[in-house]
Amino acid sequence: MKRKILGKGYPRLDALEKVTGAAQYTVDLKMPGLLYGMILRSPIAHARIKAIDISKAQALKGVHAVVTAKDVPLNIFSFYQWAADKTMLATDKVRYVGDEVAAVCAVDKDTAARAIELIEVEYETLPAVFDAEEAMSPDATLLHERESNVCFEVDRVVGDPDKAFAECDYVCEERYATDKVCHCCLEVSNCIAKWDQSGRLTVWTNTQAPHTQRQEVARILGISTKKVRFISSHMGGGFGSKLVLDMKTPIAAVLSKMTGRPVRIQNSRSEEFCTAKTRYGYTMYVKTGAKKDGRLWAREIKVIADCGAYQDKGPATLNFSNMMFAAHYNIPNVRYTGKLVYTNKQMGTAFRGFGNNQIAFACESQLDSLAAKMDMDPLEFRMKNANKPGEKMHSGAEIPTCGMSECMESAAKAVDWNQKRNQKGLRGIGVANSLHTAQGGRYYAYAATDSFIKIAEDGMITLITPAAEMGQGIHSAMAQIVGEELGIPPTEINVIGSDTDLTPYDLGSWGSRGTFVCGNAALAAAREAKKELIGIASEMLEVKSEFIKLEDGQAVAKAPGSPEVILPMAEIMDYTMNKRKAPISVRGQWADDMGPDWDVPKEWTKNVRSWAFGTQIAEVEVDEETGEVKVLKVIAAQESGITINQKMAEGQIEGSVVQGVGYALTEKQVLAEGKVVNDGFIDYKILSSEDIPEIETILVETGDPEGPFGAKGLGEAGLVPTAPAIANAIYNACGVRCYELPITREFILKSLKEKKAGK
Amino acid sequence: MKHQIEITVNGDAHHLLVEAHQTLLDVIRDLIGFTGTKSGCEMGECGACTVVMNGDAVNSCLVLALEADGTEIRTIEGMAQGDKLHPVQESFVENGAIQCGYCTSGMVMASTALLDKNPKADIEAIRKGLRGNLCRCTGYTKIIKAVESARDGEVT
Ligand code: FES
Ligand code: FES
Repeated sequence: MKRKILGKGYPRLDALEKVTGAAQYTVDLKMPGLLYGMILRSPIAHARIKAIDISKAQALKGVHAVVTAKDVPLNIFSFYQWAADKTMLATDKVRYVGDEVAAVCAVDKDTAARAIELIEVEYETLPAVFDAEEAMSPDATLLHERESNVCFEVDRVVGDPDKAFAECDYVCEERYATDKVCHCCLEVSNCIAKWDQSGRLTVWTNTQAPHTQRQEVARILGISTKKVRFISSHMGGGFGSKLVLDMKTPIAAVLSKMTGRPVRIQNSRSEEFCTAKTRYGYTMYVKTGAKKDGRLWAREIKVIADCGAYQDKGPATLNFSNMMFAAHYNIPNVRYTGKLVYTNKQMGTAFRGFGNNQIAFACESQLDSLAAKMDMDPLEFRMKNANKPGEKMHSGAEIPTCGMSECMESAAKAVDWNQKRNQKGLRGIGVANSLHTAQGGRYYAYAATDSFIKIAEDGMITLITPAAEMGQGIHSAMAQIVGEELGIPPTEINVIGSDTDLTPYDLGSWGSRGTFVCGNAALAAAREAKKELIGIASEMLEVKSEFIKLEDGQAVAKAPGSPEVILPMAEIMDYTMNKRKAPISVRGQWADDMGPDWDVPKEWTKNVRSWAFGTQIAEVEVDEETGEVKVLKVIAAQESGITINQKMAEGQIEGSVVQGVGYALTEKQVLAEGKVVNDGFIDYKILSSEDIPEIETILVETGDPEGPFGAKGLGEAGLVPTAPAIANAIYNACGVRCYELPITREFILKSLKEKKAGK
Repeated sequence: MKHQIEITVNGDAHHLLVEAHQTLLDVIRDLIGFTGTKSGCEMGECGACTVVMNGDAVNSCLVLALEADGTEIRTIEGMAQGDKLHPVQESFVENGAIQCGYCTSGMVMASTALLDKNPKADIEAIRKGLRGNLCRCTGYTKIIKAVESARDGEVT
């Protein structure tokens, strides 16, 4: 099919607003009577609260309300209600440095800050545990009232791994570990809550999931969801951090209710680093076995995930890791054991890649370890084991389309693999693959959404979509999909979203699902609109519908034997309004046909129905003197299904790769007694323009049978293989195998020394 | 105690009463109301608050309002001439250098000051010149490309 609108690099719809400074983010909103809220957070990692005295804070002029757990609803909450473990404000105990203890609101920020200082809390310090493996021991201090700090477990076996390992010619067994890292959205987490006279709560916030956060805040406050409306403005980044509700929203809501005024609460950058949640740190014991001919035969992994103080997305993350582990390469015998363990640290949450990154680091590194043992080229090893389209996996996963071999081939070609693998000096290249969901999935046992299109009397097209725009460009992608179907440039389509009163229910932007789910709904609506427009044009021109196309903003009729006739959209609408006397407003839906009784854990590998594969090859140079690793180049071949917008797709991959280089080499949260020491950008090092490698993105178009026009989601996948590709490149450059992220200079130096000494 | 200052922002003179601890960022965002200038850290670590002060790119969160007395400030809102974007802005749009957009104002201001001072800035100079402006979304590749194409006059 010839595409007119898709694939082109149209500027994003909001580019002009953003480049002129006109775009309003939640931090920019002003409101009459706005009060400033602030949260008093625990300075201790684990303590019993003996007493709180708020009288001095209450007495301060300009303070409008002070609250502790005594004054707020105490419904226990977690993302999954069955895992509920957290109240809005701490009742008897605090469990990490940063736990919410009390809150105030005042006329301005300075007064609120002074009031916070005036609250006196008496703590009784308890023993704290910061290491997940230590927290598992029977005599470890317990965070919650349960028998163990292990709060969630997954155990799944495919085939017979024990028997299979005995049958392998080569087996490799290693321990890998990754650390907690931060999302570092440039806009901090913040909200305004306003409870109006009618008893309705409106929340303005930067959220990836307005509809589910609306449900979450209602659950925490113990009110009906009908009473809650969420409005999201432009958003300064999400990356998973703004998926599950943060307690500042219900706290602001309570303060607003008490004062009858809108209340803003906004993280400081330090609060963002200390409390906005992190990626889960994993410790992984991995074992992989292969037959002589290079066929992967068995693999097992034991994951210990550092949960932090509350569960949040921990169970879901462990499950997702499990699914990716069992679907990547079709290995007949697989065992996955996962334990989620409470520690007295900031909790983890969703983060771009969602548990796949940790697993990929361990497994893709180990593939190279195994290849080295077998004296086999790691790329060839991967080629031999590549997933294939149409494959039904041993684990039950179904892979309708698969560009894994194409991704490997195109990346290898771009880099001249054989030559670069044998470079002189401490330079080398490494490869890693990824598979990731291309459409979110069925984890909520629900996966559907609607979209509306209305065509105004003048022909202007408006799409109303629940697709949550967090900067990734999803609104522009929606406009391009609708534009392709209706033959209109996306720049002429008005996209409205971000308000739960206005948009249909949707689960939000996560799991690379927006393009697929919301895109399919938008396309369905566009098809309806097209049907109506062509029907009317057919009536007007007395030409059969099948001879009419929509292109360049008009209907073009070309019946056999007759000349071409062109009808501008405005004329069609004029006819519609004045002759047919009715407007055009249509609805489109995409709904997963999972059926009413979908059992998420039971169907574990079937929770994803469309996958995206990717290959990255990194080139590095290691400095023998300093241990510094310089990433020179990353080639990222990524299956896009079809590319909706070339520049935006590249932008997703480039951004992911740079986050991935940070994950591999520089990013790490440093704690002392549970307190985050590096709570600013000087000490928590994300990459700057000076540190980035050259990035070459190759988009591999395999088409997806179910995606809109064949598109797959690609918001996360680019971050999954970067760290292991770098680790494998380091091994190729200097023979050092890196077992932990981030890979530090100290580790490289020490390992190089040991190698020299012949250890 | 409040102090009186006079600053010119995007060509308009403002007489303002400020507290000694208030920053130029507070003045621009809260007193004058130009919210295009963003706050990302208030510690001089992210560059989101970059404005041009007497021709130099500065982190407005590190400049006290009192220090800005008598200066000439340009913010993102002062870049376009009516409907006509500044070439650096145009180039950011055309090259896909914007995602969430939160760093964009600071990036555009820093890039403009950089090219004003060094119209032939090569890629290394651009990478160095923008290192104080963090972006978590784009991976910088398209931002650097945008500055190069603005330098080369590829946009009008
Ligand atoms: S807000 Fe000024 S440098 Fe970050
Ligand atoms: S575009 Fe989001 S921080 Fe740069």
